Amino acid sequence: MHRGGSIRSRRRSFAAATALAGAAVLPPIAHGADAEFTATIVEASFTADNNVSRSSSDEALSDRFLGVRVGKGFVLPVSARTRAVIQAFAGGERFGTYSGLSHAYIGGQGDFQFRSSGEFAAATYGLYFRTQAEYYDSELRDGYRHAFGLSVLKPVTDRMQLFAALQQNIGDGKSTVFDTKSTSLRGNLDWSLGRWDTLYLGAEYRRGDVVSSGTQSLARVDTADAIVQDDAFTDKGYFAYRFQANTGLATLGYNHAFAEKHSLDLSWRYAQSKPLHPSGYGSASDIRYTVSQVSLAYLVRF
Amino acid sequence: MKPFDQFDDPRRRILIQALAAGFFSAPWGAAAQSVFGSTPRRLPAGQSIYRASGRVLVNSREATLATPIKPGDVVETAPGGELVFVLAEEAFILRGESRVVIENPPPSSPLKTALRLATGKLLSVFGRGRPTRIVTATATIGVRGTGVYAESDPEQTYFCTCYGVADITANNDRQSKETVAATHHNRPLYIAAKASAGNSIRRAPFINHTDQELMLIEALVGRTPPFVFPMNDYNAPRREYP
Repeated sequence: MHRGGSIRSRRRSFAAATALAGAAVLPPIAHGADAEFTATIVEASFTADNNVSRSSSDEALSDRFLGVRVGKGFVLPVSARTRAVIQAFAGGERFGTYSGLSHAYIGGQGDFQFRSSGEFAAATYGLYFRTQAEYYDSELRDGYRHAFGLSVLKPVTDRMQLFAALQQNIGDGKSTVFDTKSTSLRGNLDWSLGRWDTLYLGAEYRRGDVVSSGTQSLARVDTADAIVQDDAFTDKGYFAYRFQANTGLATLGYNHAFAEKHSLDLSWRYAQSKPLHPSGYGSASDIRYTVSQVSLAYLVRF
Repeated sequence: MKPFDQFDDPRRRILIQALAAGFFSAPWGAAAQSVFGSTPRRLPAGQSIYRASGRVLVNSREATLATPIKPGDVVETAPGGELVFVLAEEAFILRGESRVVIENPPPSSPLKTALRLATGKLLSVFGRGRPTRIVTATATIGVRGTGVYAESDPEQTYFCTCYGVADITANNDRQSKETVAATHHNRPLYIAAKASAGNSIRRAPFINHTDQELMLIEALVGRTPPFVFPMNDYNAPRREYP
């Protein structure tokens, strides 16, 4: 177990260089013969979260935050049935009470996609890599997130579409506690209720590292792989614990479009995390946590 | 012991009674299709309508899935309605508040289909080697083996050649004409009712139709569109959940 959460110097150049390189090469490549820019999408959101500290129920701290995200990309046909999609994005979240959680981020994503034909029900298979740099108002969480995986998108009927992805997640934080690895399997079903209304359901299973904050207890110390005094919750005296867990997430959302360029999106996400190797001290409820988030977002494309 | 043809299990009896009552047949199937959708395939011979929602009239009579649509018919939709239908090798999505007359070209005409879109919005795909004419309030368009989207009102027509070739002429200004050869919605146009000579046609943005809709109606006539990947830019913006 890593104690004290020593702040390590990090090789930050990789993710930042990837994101910046993506932004730099994007215009010249997109000027190529068949490359096409995708529309810019701007998202503004308000989210209420009943457990921003990811604590057990007796120590959960709720907060609300405003978010903004801008994304832009381009599509580069590779062959008749394959293409590359490169996207750059940036954004931030501003928390109402626990300002240490407020952060900005910038990143990029590359997808390589295959689709066998233009048939309505043909599936689109993808390989993707995403990287983003995050800058928090507090220190310890600063760092990078990377993810890579396989995805499949398939229209099931003319009203329903399935998406599934197997993804490896890597967190590279300033503190060891925020160095995390996990594997996730997720699925999403879009159900079109009409031309402008879509109900969506998501389910995800993650296995790997999570970070939970709370007061010190024998059970937590015994379960954690790394611990540090959490600088986002200093007034609470919370420590951040990293441990391995099984996490389930469910999403229920509703998207109402105002024509093609604007939409309003209301969603509820629920997550439950249980330690993979619970401590023999105390009860399992000392470690596991649940989170419920309600989010309202306005999206515009131009 | 009872012979095999006699009911023993009450659940089996209920199931058979339900089947006999048509519990799992057409009306429920149609209801399930309207809620959950269906995978579009080539329509069976004799069936014209794939999906009808809201109030839809064919020759002033309420349409059902069994209503045939043929040259000479007038098809209308009420506000909020929609009709997805097939006519020979052509397939269409007629949006709400629309009226289209399917004309019957004379046998001597090279045209296979002629449509008069008086008002409203129509997405169409046409078979190769089947010259077609679309007349709107302000434009006359000749198309060949293509997918097109048109919105017609008395002031102007919106016309997108989604793929294929279209010859567009303004009805009130014969000097305004343009041929568009498109691979993927390259050059949407407005054709105005009133403009100075030679200036009735101008560029337009991309609006109100999607690649998924084109794939759907092509499937109804057993074809696929020339593009492989649909562009999501034509759908409502959605959130990213990393």
